[in-house]
Amino acid sequence: MKCYTPVIYKGLSPCKPNAIKSAVLQSEQVQYVIKQLAKEMGESPDIIQEEATEILDEMGHRMQLGAVRFFAFTLSKIFKQLFQRVCVNEEGMQRLQHAIQEHPVVLLPSHRSYVDFLMLSYLLYTYDLALPVIAAGIDFLGMKIVGELLRRAGAFFMRRSFGGNRLYWAVFAEYVKTMLRSGYAPIEFFLEGTRSRTAKTLTPKFGLLSIVMEPFFKREVFDTYLVPISISYERILEESLYAYELLGVPKPKESTSGLLKARRILSDNFGTIHIYVGQPVSLRTLASGRINRCPYNLVPRHLPQKPSEDIQEFVSDVAYKMELLQIENMVLSPWVLVAAVLLQNLPAMEFELLIEKTLWLKGLTQTFGGFIEWPDNLCAKKAVLSGLTLHSNIASLVDGHVVLNDKGMEDGAVGEMVFRHALAVLMCATYRNQLLNVFVRPALVAIALQMAPSFRKEEVYSCFNFLRDVFSDEFIFFPGISLKDFEEGCFLLTKCDAIQTSQQEIYPTDKGSGTVSFLSAMFRPFVEGYQLIFRYLSKEMKEAFTEKQFIPGVRNFVFQLLEKGSTQCYEALSSDMQKNALSALVQLGAVKKKKMPSGFTYNVNQEAVSKILDMFDDSADAIPEHNEFLFPEYEILIEPEEPEFPADSTDDEQGAEDTSKGAKEQEELGAAGTADEAFQSLDEETLEAMAKHETEEEKIFQMFKKQVAAEPEQIIRYCRGGEGPLWVSGENRPEEKDIPNCVCGAKRIFEFQIMPQLLNHLQVDSLGESIDWGTLVVYTCADSCGGGSEYLEEFIWKQDYSMGCTL
Amino acid sequence: RKTNKSFPVPTTPCTATGWGQRAGKEQELLKWNGWGYNDSKFIFNKKGQAEFTGKRYRLGGMVLPTFKEWIEKTFGASLEHKTTSRASLNVNDVPPSIVNEEFLQDLRATKISYSQDAEDRVFRAHGHCLHEIFVLREGMFKRIPDIVVWPVCHEDVVKIVELACKHNLCIIPFGGGTSVSSALECPEEEKRTIVSLDTSQMNRILWIDEKNLTACVEAGIVGQDLEKQLAESGFCTGHEPDSMEFSSLGGWVATRASGMKKNIYGNIEDLVIHIKMVTPRGIVEKNCQVPRMSTGPDIHHFIMGSEGTLGVVTEVTIKIRPVPEYQKYGSVVFPNFERGVACLREVAKQRCAPASIRLVDNAQFQFGHALKPQVASIFTSFLDGLKKFYITKFKGFDPNILCVATLLFEGDREKVLQHEKQVYDIATKFGGLAAGEDNGQRGYMLTFVIAYLRDLGLDYYVIGESFETSVPWDRVLDLCRNVKERIVRECKEKGVQFAPLSTCRVTQTYDAGACVYFYFAFNYRGISDPIHVYEQIERAAREEILANGGSLSHHHGVGKLRKRWMKESISDVGLGMLRSVKEYVDPNNIFGNKNLL
Repeated sequence: MKCYTPVIYKGLSPCKPNAIKSAVLQSEQVQYVIKQLAKEMGESPDIIQEEATEILDEMGHRMQLGAVRFFAFTLSKIFKQLFQRVCVNEEGMQRLQHAIQEHPVVLLPSHRSYVDFLMLSYLLYTYDLALPVIAAGIDFLGMKIVGELLRRAGAFFMRRSFGGNRLYWAVFAEYVKTMLRSGYAPIEFFLEGTRSRTAKTLTPKFGLLSIVMEPFFKREVFDTYLVPISISYERILEESLYAYELLGVPKPKESTSGLLKARRILSDNFGTIHIYVGQPVSLRTLASGRINRCPYNLVPRHLPQKPSEDIQEFVSDVAYKMELLQIENMVLSPWVLVAAVLLQNLPAMEFELLIEKTLWLKGLTQTFGGFIEWPDNLCAKKAVLSGLTLHSNIASLVDGHVVLNDKGMEDGAVGEMVFRHALAVLMCATYRNQLLNVFVRPALVAIALQMAPSFRKEEVYSCFNFLRDVFSDEFIFFPGISLKDFEEGCFLLTKCDAIQTSQQEIYPTDKGSGTVSFLSAMFRPFVEGYQLIFRYLSKEMKEAFTEKQFIPGVRNFVFQLLEKGSTQCYEALSSDMQKNALSALVQLGAVKKKKMPSGFTYNVNQEAVSKILDMFDDSADAIPEHNEFLFPEYEILIEPEEPEFPADSTDDEQGAEDTSKGAKEQEELGAAGTADEAFQSLDEETLEAMAKHETEEEKIFQMFKKQVAAEPEQIIRYCRGGEGPLWVSGENRPEEKDIPNCVCGAKRIFEFQIMPQLLNHLQVDSLGESIDWGTLVVYTCADSCGGGSEYLEEFIWKQDYSMGCTL
Repeated sequence: RKTNKSFPVPTTPCTATGWGQRAGKEQELLKWNGWGYNDSKFIFNKKGQAEFTGKRYRLGGMVLPTFKEWIEKTFGASLEHKTTSRASLNVNDVPPSIVNEEFLQDLRATKISYSQDAEDRVFRAHGHCLHEIFVLREGMFKRIPDIVVWPVCHEDVVKIVELACKHNLCIIPFGGGTSVSSALECPEEEKRTIVSLDTSQMNRILWIDEKNLTACVEAGIVGQDLEKQLAESGFCTGHEPDSMEFSSLGGWVATRASGMKKNIYGNIEDLVIHIKMVTPRGIVEKNCQVPRMSTGPDIHHFIMGSEGTLGVVTEVTIKIRPVPEYQKYGSVVFPNFERGVACLREVAKQRCAPASIRLVDNAQFQFGHALKPQVASIFTSFLDGLKKFYITKFKGFDPNILCVATLLFEGDREKVLQHEKQVYDIATKFGGLAAGEDNGQRGYMLTFVIAYLRDLGLDYYVIGESFETSVPWDRVLDLCRNVKERIVRECKEKGVQFAPLSTCRVTQTYDAGACVYFYFAFNYRGISDPIHVYEQIERAAREEILANGGSLSHHHGVGKLRKRWMKESISDVGLGMLRSVKEYVDPNNIFGNKNLL
């Protein structure tokens, strides 16, 4: 048996868990609240004291070395069974060892799985460090034997919500602080409050953090170390459970038998775990210059006191800072990249292309500061393949193509199909999500670039700011520093040559259009999902509602749209996204949240939600400075037309063309595009069927259509002296004699043609009232005469769909 | 020119010393570049053992065998690395005296003695902050007084203040010169002639009222003279700040001083019955000398702590008590500082604090131990060893954790013994162990010789300072721990090579809190600008005190050293209240030492 002699805090006066409990009960803090309550409720303090004792018994840990040893032994067996490897940064453990001796330590791990705290305790035990006491949810207590074991291994239990119960709060807070002050053991808890079902860092909870920071604010300790710890799993134990839960299939209550069933999992392989113990952050250093006034100087320190605004703000800043550190140090596996690529190329993606794209994404992720675990000599193919093997439940390789495993697609009702597909998408998204917080700043800049009516910095920034506000609960942003985030996003995009910036403007580069479109496609599920949810709220929710009503409602709404095929945004089914979207609206003031005895109710301010929706939709309409005298303004992007168009690159093409607009319009265009495509494919079938009856006329139109389909948004085709124009119709084509020679006597040749799509963009497409053309073909002097700057008269040929005339 | 008496002789009262002549002779007894008497200092003798010279103190002439080791161990200092101060003042460096001839004529007409001599002016250009002593040893002040005047009575002061108003001069009152808040430093940017108003010749006891137990005393009298002269009539004031050998009554009033035995006699604000102050507006005084009056805010409280910004205190009526029959020192060892503080708190709660009760932490206990003189006989050495054995082995006290309370009882013999028992009984409840009179007495001696020790340190690259604060009882432990830790931490960050001495004692107890005193010193070898580093650390320590709920100062005052925190300490409005008093009393800023506000 291992000799376990952990290093301890230098100021520690050793004591038993029970001594701590009685110290807590006798503390001025708890006694004060007991007396207060006794006075208010007219009960004897003894009864309340009794109650406090019960709370403490329910909550308190009973750390025993024996239990720890037993745990360590069992865990090592289980872990060996489940995981291939556990990787830890050694220097992080050494830093932690120093920190524990110096000042009280608070461990702040990321929370993706139950395995988190078991693993962490096991790890500290293995490294001969003081075992942490862990704030765990009280639901664990339901697990009879395991709950007790956890307790003996140092876990203490907190009720999920106890906002109203002053006694509970006092006892709990004092319990945590007593352990912290005495340096009894490192305190461990999860800033995210609960396991993130999406593998995307959840916005932090502040309650426990402000408790552990208080001893420092009150100067009861000299300093406190906060240690961000990032735990990442190559494959998350609860992945499918999470997906079900997000889709509204209720979560099984933690129970011992549940855990026993979980033993089935033991035969499965869950890959590698990476634990990165971050640099301990000194709370004192964080606070220096921040908390100047001494808010606790004028009131006895044991009185419960609402923290000042200064302090609340500081606590929130620290929480975000810690989460950002977790994100920074989170190890990303190659599979995360694969998932991100795959999700943009559903339903199937060619294997080779997937590898290529994954490799490309690896570069981009590294540029953005992502921390990828990718052994130097591991070739991309192997990396992708091993990811596919490990995650064979999510995706598989079929005929050289990678597809999601949404078995049962063929048979079963539409609803069933949607559900299965959604399940597969959400599980896959769990992995892509691990990238999002690394990418969010540059990606929002990229989306803002597409949304903004021009490339002017202020306008791009204001779009960015809007997005950042809307997604403030979805992604982790340090509070208040929008401009800094924007600059960071711009910097990263510049670094990967996707954009260029000048004093006033930000514009995408030709080279970077791939990156920009990839980024916006990566976040499209959120942009679209939020719009769907907002639309639901603005249309369907006229009355006050609770979250319990909202979630199924919006789920049905999205589900129906998916069934109808009018959206492809499966991720909008995720209850996580739905809750975040709702809370974003609350923060933006478009939804009022009210506290009722039964819980919170919500009231939608229809107008405000529509306004927010308009912000998105404006991007689709993109009518900058549009009035009855002027056409809207666009930038024309020129790209060579390639002779062949690979079928599977549509996504990229789409993105590229999006940037070419430089205006806030791709949302609707994109949506229209997908609808068109569906329409188009149908149309093509019909055409095929009609092929026998094909006339010359129809042939030409079909050719036109086919050519244009590659780049449906084109407005000008330019090819001086080249092949000649693309006609829309066989009728009314000019013959050579129809084209007059130039005034200089030289022949006029074809230079460019204007496409009918322009009418669309200029919004002069109402039938009967607007000008109209099939195509306008411009012929110019073959000799390019008249080198001066004066205007020359050239020749234009207008061809209509049915009949033509010359100008 | 040198007189060598055991105590400085009080100058014979009120005989005008013809104009143009120096009057303040006592400065000749004192070091010009360090603390205290010329003849009293720590040295290392030929054997390399520490020794304290002179006969003024109990320690005088004794060899301190363990001190060298302590200083080497604590600071990493070595006797081979020595810096030496300039031997004497270089008169050429001294800024010239610029005094308007018209004023001089007027001054001569008053027959008040004055001097423009460089040494006289430099002597009154500073207090005893570390940086001031450092400047004396190695540099020169940028601005010093242009002229020193020695009024001998209240009327003289009135004349001087009138002249200053007439000629628009700046007056800086000077009492004992023991300020540790940069209060005596001349503002560099002061363009007017600076007059140092030395009150040392106003040192008479004007009358003693035995019926009311009060005495009216001129404000220039220094503490030990006051006590000695009162003792001749069988009285004392009982006010004994650590600087009482040199500090003056007027200075106490101007800084809100506190004395070691305040538990019996009270602090200066409790002792003072009446104050007479000369201001540019005229004379402030009350119409009667009563124990208390309800006539709006007490004007004494505008004067006490005004730090020379409003005027010159000339005469003070102060409470007196019969000299106590019996005095007894004592000490108690506690297993750790926490228990010690808990005991002091209990003593304060029961309001049975002896004349003085102090609790020194372990580092200071060891410091005091290092100053133990060579024991006279094998027998005492044996007894010491036995005591040590009993405390450390038998009682299980860790010599590196234990701490000591020093006690001083005063009063009727019987009552003292009774009182003593009461206090020791309380101490026992907190794990305390009586540790003898000798330890107690040595503890108090340390406070008198500590300033001499700083001069020794300066010779060996060790600089140090003391500072104080007051703090509520519940925060005493946290404050002590955090401030000491902060000092250690800051030293490390600022590149100090050796861990500093960072030690504290709880030096006064009150109903609602305590006064805590810190010593802080470090070896500055390898640091190019030690004074700057020192000041940064001192500032950080003060920030820490404030963050821990401590006060800006308990009794040293604000001066110019701690001005930056005044607003935080007393709020904007509070500061405005003080400013408006200053504006009314001294609109032309005649008392322009720029302290406090």
